Amino acid sequence: MIEYVWLVPLLPLAASLIILFVGRESDHSPMPYVGIAAIGAGLWISLRVIFDGAVGAAVLPFEKDWSWYSFAADLGGRAFIFDMRAGVLIDGAAAVMLAVVCLVSLLVQVYSLGYMHGDTRFKRYFAYISFFTASMLGLVVSNNLIVTFACWELVGVSSYLLIGFWFEQKAPPYAGKKAFITTKLGDLGFFLALLLTFTYAGTYNIVRLKEAVAMGYLPPVVLTFIGLGLLAGAAGKSAQAPLFIWLPDAMEGPTPVSALIHAAPMVAAGLYLVARVYFIYLASPAAMEAVAWVGLATAFLAGTMALVPYDIKRVLAFSTVSQLGFMMCALGVGGYTAGLFHLTTHAFFKALLFLCAGSVIHAVHTNDMRSMGGLSKRMPVTFLTMAVGSLALAGIPPFAGFFSKDLILEKVFEHSHLMFAVLVFTACLTAFYTFRMLFLTFLGDGRDHDRVAHAEESGSVMTVPLLILAALAVVSGWLFEHGHAFASFVGNGGAAEAAAEAAGHGTQAAAGHALNPMVLAVGLTAAAVLLILLAYSLYGGPDLSRAARIKERFLPVFNVLENRWGFDAFFLFLVDASDRLAVLCRWLDTEVIDRIFVDGWGLICRVFAEISHLFDALFVDQAVDGCGYVSRDVAGRGLRSLVARGQVQEYLLYLAVGVSLFAILNK
Amino acid sequence: MELPLLSLITFIPLMGALAVLCVPKENRRVLEALSLTAAAIPFALTVWLYFAFDRSTAAMQFVERHAWISTDAVRIDYYLGVDGLSAPLVILTTLMSLIALIASLGIKERFKEYCFWFLILEVGMLGVFESLDFFLFYVFWEITLVPMYFLIGIWGGPQKEYAAIKFFLYTLAGSVFMLLGILALYFKADPHTFDMLQLMKIHGSLSFRFQVLAFLAFYFGFAIKVPAFPFHTWLPLAHVEAPTAISVILAAVLLKMGVYGIMRVNYPMLPLGFEWFLPYLVIIAVINIVYGALCAMAQNDMKKMVAYSSINHMGYCLLAIAGASATGFAGAAFQMINHGIITGALFLLVGVIYDRAHTRDIGAFGGLAAKVPVYAGLMSLSCFASLGLPGMAGFVSEFLCFLGAFPRWKIYAAISVIGIIVTAAFFLRMIEKVFLGPLNNKWADLPDMNARELLSVVPLAVLMIVLGIWPRWALDMMNTTMVGLAGLFR
Amino acid sequence: MTLTLGHYLFLGSGLFIIGIFGALTRRSVIGILMSIELIFNAANVNLAAFNRFLHPDGVTGQAFALFIMTVAAAEVVVGLALVLAIYRSRDKIYMEDINIMRG
Repeated sequence: MIEYVWLVPLLPLAASLIILFVGRESDHSPMPYVGIAAIGAGLWISLRVIFDGAVGAAVLPFEKDWSWYSFAADLGGRAFIFDMRAGVLIDGAAAVMLAVVCLVSLLVQVYSLGYMHGDTRFKRYFAYISFFTASMLGLVVSNNLIVTFACWELVGVSSYLLIGFWFEQKAPPYAGKKAFITTKLGDLGFFLALLLTFTYAGTYNIVRLKEAVAMGYLPPVVLTFIGLGLLAGAAGKSAQAPLFIWLPDAMEGPTPVSALIHAAPMVAAGLYLVARVYFIYLASPAAMEAVAWVGLATAFLAGTMALVPYDIKRVLAFSTVSQLGFMMCALGVGGYTAGLFHLTTHAFFKALLFLCAGSVIHAVHTNDMRSMGGLSKRMPVTFLTMAVGSLALAGIPPFAGFFSKDLILEKVFEHSHLMFAVLVFTACLTAFYTFRMLFLTFLGDGRDHDRVAHAEESGSVMTVPLLILAALAVVSGWLFEHGHAFASFVGNGGAAEAAAEAAGHGTQAAAGHALNPMVLAVGLTAAAVLLILLAYSLYGGPDLSRAARIKERFLPVFNVLENRWGFDAFFLFLVDASDRLAVLCRWLDTEVIDRIFVDGWGLICRVFAEISHLFDALFVDQAVDGCGYVSRDVAGRGLRSLVARGQVQEYLLYLAVGVSLFAILNK
Repeated sequence: MELPLLSLITFIPLMGALAVLCVPKENRRVLEALSLTAAAIPFALTVWLYFAFDRSTAAMQFVERHAWISTDAVRIDYYLGVDGLSAPLVILTTLMSLIALIASLGIKERFKEYCFWFLILEVGMLGVFESLDFFLFYVFWEITLVPMYFLIGIWGGPQKEYAAIKFFLYTLAGSVFMLLGILALYFKADPHTFDMLQLMKIHGSLSFRFQVLAFLAFYFGFAIKVPAFPFHTWLPLAHVEAPTAISVILAAVLLKMGVYGIMRVNYPMLPLGFEWFLPYLVIIAVINIVYGALCAMAQNDMKKMVAYSSINHMGYCLLAIAGASATGFAGAAFQMINHGIITGALFLLVGVIYDRAHTRDIGAFGGLAAKVPVYAGLMSLSCFASLGLPGMAGFVSEFLCFLGAFPRWKIYAAISVIGIIVTAAFFLRMIEKVFLGPLNNKWADLPDMNARELLSVVPLAVLMIVLGIWPRWALDMMNTTMVGLAGLFR
Repeated sequence: MTLTLGHYLFLGSGLFIIGIFGALTRRSVIGILMSIELIFNAANVNLAAFNRFLHPDGVTGQAFALFIMTVAAAEVVVGLALVLAIYRSRDKIYMEDINIMRG
């Protein structure tokens, strides 16, 4: 089965083209089922790959590639035709990602059948979703960094299309543009890293590249720059500090899209990339350290920002950013498996939370939690599944998030106590804001009676995906046996961690600072439960005045958080500055460059022309006139009256005399 | 006897032009059919050329050589041939000419003259890319100027006379310097010759001083055409004033003549001068990229924006050439083709909306995507191709350009990537302002694209995607030549 | 006595001088035209004589003489036509009265 794995991204791609070009736009268009069938087939293949890999029927990593195109290249002072090959490279991490992406995408598409019903561009929505999934899957399977980058950008474009899907309003197109440009800013780093890679390694094939790194062909400083460049790209796509500003705005898209962007596919891409080229980071401690710090900063900043918004999707968005920071930090401290494990579990429960939020929004037609409250009775299934998701996110055992977050914290503790402290604090915040959201939405009184009273539980096409995801959020932690089975399957993860140790990471662990896992687990759970209780006391009841009082006490802090620590303002300033620069350039171009190099050129010509004209009039023309005057008025008139009297015979005489003279003088 | 393929390609439009003169101007149908045929046959022939082209050699192919002006003192040959650098450009020229002609079927005034000048223009452009004799090259080079002058000056916008004269004089000034360079090379060669292939072999005997001077003379001529900073300011004006189809030709083909000249003349004939100029060239390229993109971002006129984006894109070509590597040359050659296709499509599309709304002001629209979905889709597609989205043609060539320049100019290449993001920014902003958001009711009954417009744009859109997914079809033609070109002085 | 080239040249120069004299002194246009014919014939005599004595194998001289006769005939036609035209418009035939070419 594994040799057909290249079909996994191509099936949704074909599906998206079919959906886009076949048939008419209509509510009852059967086209979405094409996309669902394609992704279903993809899911089946990827599950078979995992199964085959687990039982040993297929050998991982599996690589297969085809010649794509060739271009004239020169390496080592020699020009030749370089054969660019593209293909698939499936290792444990890729197989897991494939399954996760397919599964989430499948559930999101099924859910969207209900959620998007009645939209004017129902069919096109599914085309976009399939295209998005296809590019994400392509990114996962590709064995060639160029193809990875290509799919990476296509993911960006399709998210641009999806976020701005309701383009008749003002905000969604703006948010789409913001997402695209911000991620593109990070992609510049990716782009430069690609240039460096080829210049020094002469290949884009990940396996060849790994060999080249192992052989030491790449100088350490180059590796560091490549690592930092890729990190910049990853930071853009995975919404890491300081490029996370696009993610909260991305909530303008349809909610299932948010689930798709924030759960598995898009935001995972950056982490997946870092994991995919982990060997580069292992070879460059500086880049590795940068990954850890970026992750840490992201986790903390986003965790604090999630405390204040009232938009249910924004809370989830910030929490996603924060969790991505956790994963990034894990990768940065050498916790390859821990990071990927959290990525997997997070994909399930975050997709679940978003789809629950979507279900709520579908019922009450608003994102504002201040207009919700007391929905638990009206929407029991949604409430229960969302509670499961929240417990998983908060890291309460036995839900999935507990295991993965625990693993990360262990790894981080081994690396640095400061990072550990910050992350534990953030983990506590996670518990608090998650339940703040849950309580505000479902408990207490319906604050907006019109909306709440008319809220109804969503149909089964929406709730069934919720239930499946909730089940996964419960069991995915166990399925992988605390991540050990996961680690052995992800395979090279173990090797990567060993290498990380060898490279000097986690040396503190060797100094006897290892943490007792039980202490950590119990301590964390206790703290989380305490904070959940605190959240309940503030937001659980019908009376929210205490929360309001606290807000007034700490208003400056709230303001900072609501302004997102000023990052948005900073980027807006950047945009503004570049606009000003652009206007300056335009002015320069029309008023200076054009004046100097075109008009100036013309002016010089004109000046020379005037000078020549003057010279012409004064000297040349006068000389001509002079000649004319002399010949006509001086010599002409006198001579003419003498000889040219019109007598032909006279002329003949002159001729005869002349000829005779010649004859005589010729002697 | 072998079929003189290149001569046929070049002179069938000329015959068409002469035939057009013989048709009464009231007979519009005949004129249309005649000029379309005269543009379609060369295109069909270039398709044949594409398949017959030998991809394994860097030598000139389809060579035709006959003595033209032959006395004891001078020998000027009628000498045509194509290699992996010029053959794709020839194909691009015939394709874009056909498409631009289809797009100009909407011209109402003085259609007969238009067809005549247009076909003459095509002859000149094809000749430039095919000539291997400097004299012939110069003749064709100048031939392109005259029709362009009339095409802009008669069928252009409000400031057409000014734009036409500016274009004409400015480019003529450049080509005068080029003529000086040609003569200098001619007299330096022993025996004197205009044979370009022969002239590529004499650089060993040229002093550094001579090479620098000759380089500057040629560079001046070509840089104006490219257009390279600071000689670029004629371009926005000419584009804005020219009729749609002529903007297309201007961007798609005429600009390429400059880059082609640098790759065909400056680099192989004057390597020392080239080497000397590289540090300046790369700075000019960076300015073209970043500054061009910033200027584009500040424009409110769609056409001007696209024109400045051309400056930005030609900057990639210059950057690639400055890398002086096989990758760079391949990138520049491929970027020329892609820029021709993509920017051609963009100009066509801007023309489409101008025909309907009689304005090109970006701020005047809003929410059109709901009203004209096909147009919005094609425009967005072209914009994404132009901003270098992977999976579309622009990405491959842009990437090769950067890859070619990077080993030599790391810092400059790193600065140039700013151009990528600025390009993305202004295209997305344009899409947002024109197509997205609430519908501006002024345009509530804007019709979508008609069949003729689709016929001219859709082939280009298809090409953008095909060349992006399967660049082999274009790159294979160029690779061997580029490897040979890069290996000239190793 | 044998005729030598000198005799013929003497004859030719005699004809030529008579012709020149006539052309310069006659008042009537007709007379001038006739004198010019004499000059032509002087040249013809010379051509034939030179041919006969210097290149007896060829006939180039005679051929030229024939050409000259033809051309002279044409010239006379044109000349007479001009004279007629002038006579008709001005009613004059004497040269001193016709000075339309005066500068």
